[in-house]
Amino acid sequence: MVKSLIAIAVSALLLFGAALFEWFYVEDQFEGFHEELMSLYLKTQDETASGEDAKAVQTAWEERKEHLHIWIPHNDISKVDDYMSETVRLVAEKEYPLALAKIEIMLHLSCCLPGTYRPGIENVF
Amino acid sequence: MIRTAIIFVVLLIIMRLMGKRQIGEMQPFELVITLLIAELACIPMADVSIPLLYGVISVVTIYVLHEIMTLLDLKIKPLKSLISGKPSVVINKNGIDDYQLKKNNLDVSDLIESLRTSGYFSLDSVDYALYEANGTFSALPREDYESTQTSLPLVIIDNGKYDKKNLELLGLEKSFFDEILRQQGIKKEKRVLVLTADGTGKLYLQAKGEKFKTLQTEYPGGKTW
Repeated sequence: MVKSLIAIAVSALLLFGAALFEWFYVEDQFEGFHEELMSLYLKTQDETASGEDAKAVQTAWEERKEHLHIWIPHNDISKVDDYMSETVRLVAEKEYPLALAKIEIMLHLSCCLPGTYRPGIENVF
Repeated sequence: MIRTAIIFVVLLIIMRLMGKRQIGEMQPFELVITLLIAELACIPMADVSIPLLYGVISVVTIYVLHEIMTLLDLKIKPLKSLISGKPSVVINKNGIDDYQLKKNNLDVSDLIESLRTSGYFSLDSVDYALYEANGTFSALPREDYESTQTSLPLVIIDNGKYDKKNLELLGLEKSFFDEILRQQGIKKEKRVLVLTADGTGKLYLQAKGEKFKTLQTEYPGGKTW
């Protein structure tokens, strides 16, 4: 019985720890991504953003997503990938209004995606 | 984690409600675990867009639930019957317990089938028969049960209804058995839980809510099988 109780406690702690880690890690990664996107958004709004700026944000995202693949469904990541690629192209071609629309979608995704991994009633059902 | 726990509890309740027909030789919660683990392990393996970690977390959650259920099952008696169920005595000294059969979603023909599988061909061959909590069937035979198994009994009335196929097979008329029922004070066949007839003329009759009787009769034209 003591063995079973220890096994239950250890496994439950591991699960709880994994859940907390996922929650904080995913939130932290998307917060950083949101900040990078925001600065690109402001530059794009001022029409001062260059292709290098957008490429830098994309490179930072590529690094983040390598680890995010462990924690979140890959479809969510590929959604951001698609918009990121379009943004790089649009900013490089100075199509600022179109680029803004894409960045806004990514800003929205970076806000709402971590929310889907929070323990909450809306995520349980 | 929470979703897995919810599915586990829901499946467990459903399996318990379904009675013993749905389970093999496992306890209900073990069957639920087997069903879930197979699926949980399979989905992240087949769908590469889902991180493998999701499957691992779910399976570990199932393991924790299994350990908790096993502890409750072993240590808390009232919970044991709630989680795993209790054995149901379906045949006792009075005959078939219709209430217990219905409670487990079984009927008389299922019971006869279980008896035959256990090697008892006549309902009066056993003093007690029960479905265990894990769904297996156990029977305590009468001391002289081999002498009761001289011929294969066929079901004539099952839960108030004549078995037309068996009547045709025997080549006997419904009126022949109606007359026997009248002699036993049973006016309508609906009152009969089970009536079986074997080739030597032995009848096993049990009216609903009453003790069973065995009768000896002779079939028209001296028929035997």
